[in-house]
Amino acid sequence: MNETIIKRLRSIVGYENVKTDYDEVERYSKDETSSVEPSLPSAVVFVTNAQQVSEVLKVANQHKIPVTPRGAGTGLSGGAIPTKGGIVLSLERMNHILELDLENMVVVVEPGVITDEIQKLAEEHGFFYAGDPASSESSSIGGNVAENAGGVKVLKYGPTAFHVLGLEVVLPTGEIVNFGGKMMKNVMGYDMIRLFIGSEGTLGIITKIILRLIPKPKYSAVLLTPFKDMETAISCVPKVLCESGILPTSIELMDRFSVEISSKFLNESIPQQDADCHLIFEIESLDRESLTRAYISLGEKLQQLGALEVYIADNRHQKMKIWKFRKAIAEGIIAFRPKHCMEDVSVPIKTIPKLIRSTYDIARKNHVEVLNFGHVGDGNVHVTFLKPETMSDELWKKAIHNCLIELYRVTADLNGTVSGEHGIGVKRKDYLDIFLTQVEIETMRKIKQALDPNNILNADKIFPDTSASVRQI
Amino acid sequence: MKILVLAKQVPDTDKVKIDPVTGTMIREGLDVVINPLDLHALELALCLKESHQALVTVLSMGPMSTETVLRDTLALGADRAILLTDSAFAGSDTWATSYTLSEAVKRLNIDYDLVICGEKATDGETGQVGVEFAILLNIPVITYVSKFISLHDDSIVVERTTEDAYERWKIKLPALISVLRSVSEPRLATLSGKKQALSRKVEIYSAKDLGLKADELGLSGSPTRVVKVYNTKLSRNCRIYMGKDLNQGVREVVKLLKNYKGSVQR
Repeated sequence: MNETIIKRLRSIVGYENVKTDYDEVERYSKDETSSVEPSLPSAVVFVTNAQQVSEVLKVANQHKIPVTPRGAGTGLSGGAIPTKGGIVLSLERMNHILELDLENMVVVVEPGVITDEIQKLAEEHGFFYAGDPASSESSSIGGNVAENAGGVKVLKYGPTAFHVLGLEVVLPTGEIVNFGGKMMKNVMGYDMIRLFIGSEGTLGIITKIILRLIPKPKYSAVLLTPFKDMETAISCVPKVLCESGILPTSIELMDRFSVEISSKFLNESIPQQDADCHLIFEIESLDRESLTRAYISLGEKLQQLGALEVYIADNRHQKMKIWKFRKAIAEGIIAFRPKHCMEDVSVPIKTIPKLIRSTYDIARKNHVEVLNFGHVGDGNVHVTFLKPETMSDELWKKAIHNCLIELYRVTADLNGTVSGEHGIGVKRKDYLDIFLTQVEIETMRKIKQALDPNNILNADKIFPDTSASVRQI
Repeated sequence: MKILVLAKQVPDTDKVKIDPVTGTMIREGLDVVINPLDLHALELALCLKESHQALVTVLSMGPMSTETVLRDTLALGADRAILLTDSAFAGSDTWATSYTLSEAVKRLNIDYDLVICGEKATDGETGQVGVEFAILLNIPVITYVSKFISLHDDSIVVERTTEDAYERWKIKLPALISVLRSVSEPRLATLSGKKQALSRKVEIYSAKDLGLKADELGLSGSPTRVVKVYNTKLSRNCRIYMGKDLNQGVREVVKLLKNYKGSVQR
C-alpha cells in the first residue's frame, strides 16, 4: 500500500490512528482461531465514528484495497484475519454505550462495546441482555452481531439476532444506511437487519446497534449432573426437553476430557470429575418457591434418566463457579493443546447422540484425539479435534482435513449445519459445498456482489475466492 | 465430637453500596445468601463430620430471611440450625452480636468442642465477631486458619497464614478457629439434600426466649458506631514495556527479582 494512500487514511482518522509498524500491526494478523495461519495487514486504521468508516471505505473502494473489519479479535473462524493484507479496520475505539432507553426497553451501542458491559448496565436497572456468548467478557457486540453469536442461553432466548432491533451500517461503497429502530415489529420490505447479522463483515460495517432488553429473571438455579456414560447423558437431552414441561435456559455438555482441561486450567474441580460426562442445566423463575419446585421436578426427571447425582447451585457464587468452569474449557484448550481444531456443528436435537457418537469413530480412525463440549440443548456441539503430541505437523494437517470432511458429511446427513455460531470465515469456506448447493451459494454470492461490487470487504471469507478484482497488496 | 459453625447472612452481591448519609449498607432489593466465607467453615465442619462422626450445629443471628439461608446449610449436611431473630437484635455492632451469640450458646446449652467461623463477612468485613465470641466463652482462638492438619481427642493442629509466614499451632479443645478460603472447597447441595431440608426445622429463638435484656442488645447494646465507610484505592506504579522495548522490560524484571529480599526484613 503506497504512502499516498496511508497519507489519505491519516487525513481521515488522524496521524496516530493509522498504524503500519510491524510491532503495532502484528497482533492484527490473527484472531483466536488456532487452525488458520496469521496474515499481516499493511495498515491498521482505528476509527471512532461512522463518517470516518465511510470515508475510509471510499478510499479503499477507489484503490480496490481489501478491508477487514475487526472488533475484539475473539472470532473463531478467522473472520478478522486480513488474509489479503490491506487495511484492518479496527472498531475497538467505537466502544460507547450511546443510550439506555428503559421506557422502550432498548440500549443503543457502538460496535466496540464489550458485551459484558452492556449486560452489567442492563442488570443495574433490573434488565437483561439475553444474547450471552460464552466469550462475553472479551468479545465485542459488533462481532457478536456480525457472527450472529450464540452462547449458553440460545435454548431459551435465541442467538444474537433475536435481540437486535436496528442497525446502522456503512455499506462497502461508503454510504451510511439505517435499518430497523426501537420497535419490536417491522416488515418494511426485506428483513435487512437479518441480512447483515451473521454476514461476517462481508456486506457492510456495523456502526450502531439497537438491542432489545428484557426484564431480568429474578431467580435461577444451575443443576450439575454427572453421568456414567455419554450415551445415557446425551439421550436424555431430547427427553428432558419434550417431557419435563420445563424449558431450561441452557443445557450444556462437558465430556470427561473437557472437564479435565478446564479443571487443570482453573486449578479447580467439580463433583464426580471422573464421570464420563457432565450436563449443566440452568432454569429461571419468578420466585424462589416455583424455582424450587422446578429444580426438584427437573432433578427427579434426570435421576430417572440415569444421572449419577444431581447437584444444585442456587446462589450466585455457586452458579458463577459452575459457569466459570464451563466457560474455561475453550481457554484451557488454547493453553494446553494449542494445536487443535474447534468445530461448531449444529444438528436437530434428536440427532445429537448420533453426531457425538460419530466423533469418537472419526477421531479413532484418523489417529487424533477428540473432546466434545457445547450447547447440546440447542444441538450445537463444539467437537474439538486435538493433535496428539507424537503426531507430526504434516500428518496432523492431513488428518484434520479428513476428520473435518467426515464430521461435516455426518452433520449434513443429519440435516445439520457446518456452523451454529462461529461462522464460516476463512476456516470453513472450502467445505461449504458439503452443505449448500451451487445455486444456494450463488444466491448468496449475488447479494455480496450487489452490495460490494469491487469485492473489498472481507473478500476472502465465506465463499471460496474466485474474484481477481482484489489485488494482493 | 460436636462442632458449632457461626454463620451470617449477607446480601448476594460483590458490589456493596454504602448510603453516603447514614454510612450503613444499602440492602434493599438484594437477595440474601450465606456469607460465602462461612461456607468454607461449614465445609470443614462437614468433612470432620464425615471423618470423625461429628455433629454439626449452625448458629446465626439475623432477620427472619436468614431461615432460608440456614435451611441451605441443612441441605448441605448440617445436623441442626439455630436462628436468633428479634427486632431487639437490629443494629447490633460486633460486640452486641458476639454477646447475643455467646449468651444463646450458654442459655440454650449448645454443646461444642470446636467452633468454626469464616475469617469475616463479605458485607461488614470486620472479622471481629468470632474472636469476641471466643473471649466471651473463654476459649482459645486461632485466626486465619488456612489449613486444617489434624484432629485429636482433646486438641487440633492447624496452620494459619500471616502476611510473612505460615504458623502451625496445636490447641486444646474447646477452641474457636476462623478460617480462610483455602481451608476447604465448599460442596454443592444434592437434590436429595435439598428435598430433605425442605421438611427440616430451623430452630428460632427471640430475645425473650433467651431471657435477654433489651438494653444489652441491638443498637442500645452496641458501644461502637460506624462513623464513616469508604473504599480505599490501591494504586500501583506500573511501567509497561512492549514491542521494541520488550527486552528492556525483561531486563528490568530480572533486576527487580535479583534485588528482592522478600517481605520479611531481618
